[in-house]
Amino acid sequence: MFHALVAIKQVPDTTNIRIDPVTGTLVREGVPAIMNPYDAHALAAAVEWKRKLGGKITVISMGPPAAITSLREAIEMGADRSILISDRKFGGADTLATSYTLAQVIQAIHAQDPIDVVFFGKQAIDGDTAQVGPGVAVRLGWPILTYTIGIRNIDLENRRLVAERKTERWVEIVEVPLPAALTCEKDIAPIPYAPLPDLLRSLRYQPEVWTTESGHCTFDPNQIGIKGSPTVVYKQGTPPLPTPGEKINAREIGTAEAVRHALDKAVASGVLKSILGGA
Amino acid sequence: MGVRRFWAFIEQELGQVHPVSWELLGVARRLASQVEDEARAMGDTVAVEGILLGHEVEPIAHEAIKYGADRVYLLDDPVFKHYRNCPYAAGITAIARKYQPEVFLIGATTLGRDLAGAVATALRTGLTADCTGLEMEEVKGSPKKLLLATRPAYGGNILATILCRNYQPQMSSVRPRVFPMPPYNPEAQGEIIREDISISEEEAKACILEFIHAKGESVNIEYADVIVAGGRGLGGPEGFKLLEELAKELGGVVGASRPCVDAGWISYAHQVGQTGKTVRPKLYIAAGISGALQHKVGMQNADFIIAINNDPKAPIFDVADVGIVGDLYQVIPEMIQQIRALKEAKA
Amino acid sequence: MTHHSTPAKQAIQFDVIVVGAGLAGSAAAMVAARKGLNVALVERGQKPGGKNYFGGAIYTHAIAEVLPDFMELNPPFERPVTEAGFWFLHPDGGMTRMTVRGGKLDRAPADAYTTLRARFDPWWAEQAQKAGALLVPKTTVVDFIRDSEGAVIGVQTDRPQGEMYAPVVIICEGVNNLLAQKLGLKDRDLEPAHVALGFKQVIFLPKELIQARFGLQNDQQGVAVSVLGDVSLGLPGMGFVYTNKDSISVGLGMMLDVLAEYRLKPYDILQRYLSHPAIAPLVEGGQLVEYGAHLIPEGGWRDMPRLYTAGALVAGDAAAMVNALHWEGTNMAIIAGKLAGETAIEAHSRGDFSAKTMSRYEDRLRQSFILQDLQQYRNFSRFLEQHPQFMDVYPRFLNDALGNFFTAYGKPKKQLFKDIYAALTQRRPLLKAAGDIIAMGRSVMGW
Repeated sequence: MFHALVAIKQVPDTTNIRIDPVTGTLVREGVPAIMNPYDAHALAAAVEWKRKLGGKITVISMGPPAAITSLREAIEMGADRSILISDRKFGGADTLATSYTLAQVIQAIHAQDPIDVVFFGKQAIDGDTAQVGPGVAVRLGWPILTYTIGIRNIDLENRRLVAERKTERWVEIVEVPLPAALTCEKDIAPIPYAPLPDLLRSLRYQPEVWTTESGHCTFDPNQIGIKGSPTVVYKQGTPPLPTPGEKINAREIGTAEAVRHALDKAVASGVLKSILGGA
Repeated sequence: MGVRRFWAFIEQELGQVHPVSWELLGVARRLASQVEDEARAMGDTVAVEGILLGHEVEPIAHEAIKYGADRVYLLDDPVFKHYRNCPYAAGITAIARKYQPEVFLIGATTLGRDLAGAVATALRTGLTADCTGLEMEEVKGSPKKLLLATRPAYGGNILATILCRNYQPQMSSVRPRVFPMPPYNPEAQGEIIREDISISEEEAKACILEFIHAKGESVNIEYADVIVAGGRGLGGPEGFKLLEELAKELGGVVGASRPCVDAGWISYAHQVGQTGKTVRPKLYIAAGISGALQHKVGMQNADFIIAINNDPKAPIFDVADVGIVGDLYQVIPEMIQQIRALKEAKA
Repeated sequence: MTHHSTPAKQAIQFDVIVVGAGLAGSAAAMVAARKGLNVALVERGQKPGGKNYFGGAIYTHAIAEVLPDFMELNPPFERPVTEAGFWFLHPDGGMTRMTVRGGKLDRAPADAYTTLRARFDPWWAEQAQKAGALLVPKTTVVDFIRDSEGAVIGVQTDRPQGEMYAPVVIICEGVNNLLAQKLGLKDRDLEPAHVALGFKQVIFLPKELIQARFGLQNDQQGVAVSVLGDVSLGLPGMGFVYTNKDSISVGLGMMLDVLAEYRLKPYDILQRYLSHPAIAPLVEGGQLVEYGAHLIPEGGWRDMPRLYTAGALVAGDAAAMVNALHWEGTNMAIIAGKLAGETAIEAHSRGDFSAKTMSRYEDRLRQSFILQDLQQYRNFSRFLEQHPQFMDVYPRFLNDALGNFFTAYGKPKKQLFKDIYAALTQRRPLLKAAGDIIAMGRSVMGW
């Protein structure tokens, strides 16, 4: 029976971000929180394979209590069990501390109920680092395939998985032994429109909550949260405004004149010379 | 007498080096020079070193030296012939533990991003991804200068500077074209150290069954000298034909802002911006692009930027060296004509 | 339409299914769930209210009928309406105002509160959930499940395995009553002549500025006015202005067929309305937060579908329960929802969901003001169009008359009254004016 574990993160919808013009900090209120889109596609892929092979999906998320809504959404999308990993002591974690915390949880679950594949989204749209997936895999000692755009086969009997990875220059078909980890591109699976029974189940589902003291799993206090984070934000600010150049109104002086003026400037800067060559 | 090592990962696939590796050597050199005085005062030396994995890739190690590496650690073995996460991470981790670099830079390419997180976790150290700024600076409470790594966050709306205090190496990944190419010195001398690491195929875990190369033209806009880019103002995919004409005249390539790619007018390979490619061409012509922050961060370091937009308030004009307020469907043809005339005049 | 004899074993079964978590739907769900019935409140939007839009103000009598102690539950109202009335805009830039302020309007809780639906509807649905109803979002009901006799026994949603069963389905789907049509309760789709388009802008302004411009002392005072006259390029239409806490809702309603015939863009009409010297200073310097539109069913009595059939009831905009003159629709929706909920409770206690039992819903509606008013105002919907003099002649006469009155200093007053009389009769012969009064009586009083 296939057991997949999907790690998700709830993130602010970065297409809707606003910066407070006075303080220079993020305006967080009113920004909707969503399941990281890459994680959603990763979960969709896991669900596809659960339907093919039979089995179950456990979803975990390290985050604040608000992440419960995304964990319910995961049930709506087809997960069987979802777990919130939340504790003040996890706060301020960078990618190293995060991968530690997640790896501890995954190992605890794996010990009870062996996992075949761990799915991650390729990156979170707020942090954009893409580091946690590989970090967790290294800690577990499992192989990882990033930028996965498709899974060709999961062979539970022979313990092998074949997937497609997309790099800048080509697509690789790679085979890894199970258990394995994947980070996924959006292409890996479309988000399905959940069947009504799954939606209703998610509305009534209460995710489990694991803390440092709930007894589900042990955490070394020196490796979680701020204590376990080598990197800290030293300072933060808005990008400096560049000095604007000259603006020519083609409607006033005519297109030909405007273009001539612009090209003259380019020539004067030396750029055109080096492109077109010659004196 | 210690050596403060500044490392750059030399990325190669099928014997071809990704130019970001050279850019990183340039950065490593700059960072090393920023601590030279401090090192001397403490009785240490600095070194810029490359780390290279592959099979039969020694010529690349020589190239690295010509781009400024004092030394290159070479792991040359059939197990490293094609990139795979497990053997590469294991190999690099072993060498890093042996030589204890202070700073370690990796290019934020697909390969680099697959690798960096694994290595940083194996070394139990901090990694800052997609840095746009790197400096060695004095930090209160630290006897030595530390690496300050700046990166955009929250969709580019915020610039965060990250510090990795008590852990080594301080790791950063850097996107291609963010930093300039260093000078190339064919006379440069340096050391190549072959490291013996044995990793079995079983330990390598992954097995690459097949490579599927993309059909049709493969566009790489990252290293183009001239980019003529179009945005929503084009109104449709046909607009790119016009831009292609101008690009041809200038010996360049066509780029695009994200909305055009999302709308299916042109393929993702042409996308410039935060979620696309970062470019530093000599000349960037932005036609019908509003200049949202996420696009700007991908092209603002071009040497010369010409912007064309109907809206005088478009933010692209803030970053352009010269801007034309007008209809791109009139301006671009005019520009093509005038460029042709310029070329004829030279001939 | 799917026919089933009995639902399958693992069927999704409820006592009541309410379609649409708007004002009517959540009221129905609340009432039924409170009595211990297992209620599913099915909403197609991401969350309730996301698809709802109005002027507007909510009348608290209706809320109180469903939730007597509503004020203790902190409803997200904007401002109490302490000033209400009519403004007439004139083509010469002038304005005549007739409003009532204070006095009866100073009660707490107020009779009406200005409201923003995106904030209110979720709260209203939350009360239904607190009562025990299950809110099922992001799910659209597309059809009904009926038994061999044609009685409604459930709904088909657009999700895979999306059948839900219940012996009573309360349809609160809003103005686009496709489901009511599917049930055969209405034989035609909406007609542009019976539908108005309400469109507005919500303009942000600091609280204190709103208070200064509208003469309000604090944020426990607010204004709700209907605006007539030169609001819609001389075509039939009614405008409105509502003060919210820190924004103003200004907009218009016009009949869809008028907009289509003259090929008018609502946005352009709205811009012109906002530039009228009476309105412009109120919104000056404000920041546009929202621009939107929504259909309003104004066919009234003549356009209402049949309100029930075996196993199903229709309430709210889906049943065209709107009194256009009095801007009443939301209160009708809430009360109708409540009455539908009560009918569902009655049906369950009897174990009888036949058309006869469902007809008790219509009985309840007749006893309430809803059907009485709709019947009384049955001629109103085309009134403005058929009697354009109420749009231009009378407001202008009013402007002239009052304008003359207030500038007649030093003039012989006999002349003044002659002038006023002439101002009327020049525009409208006396006999016709008398006829207008009768027409108005017919339309408004139901003579």
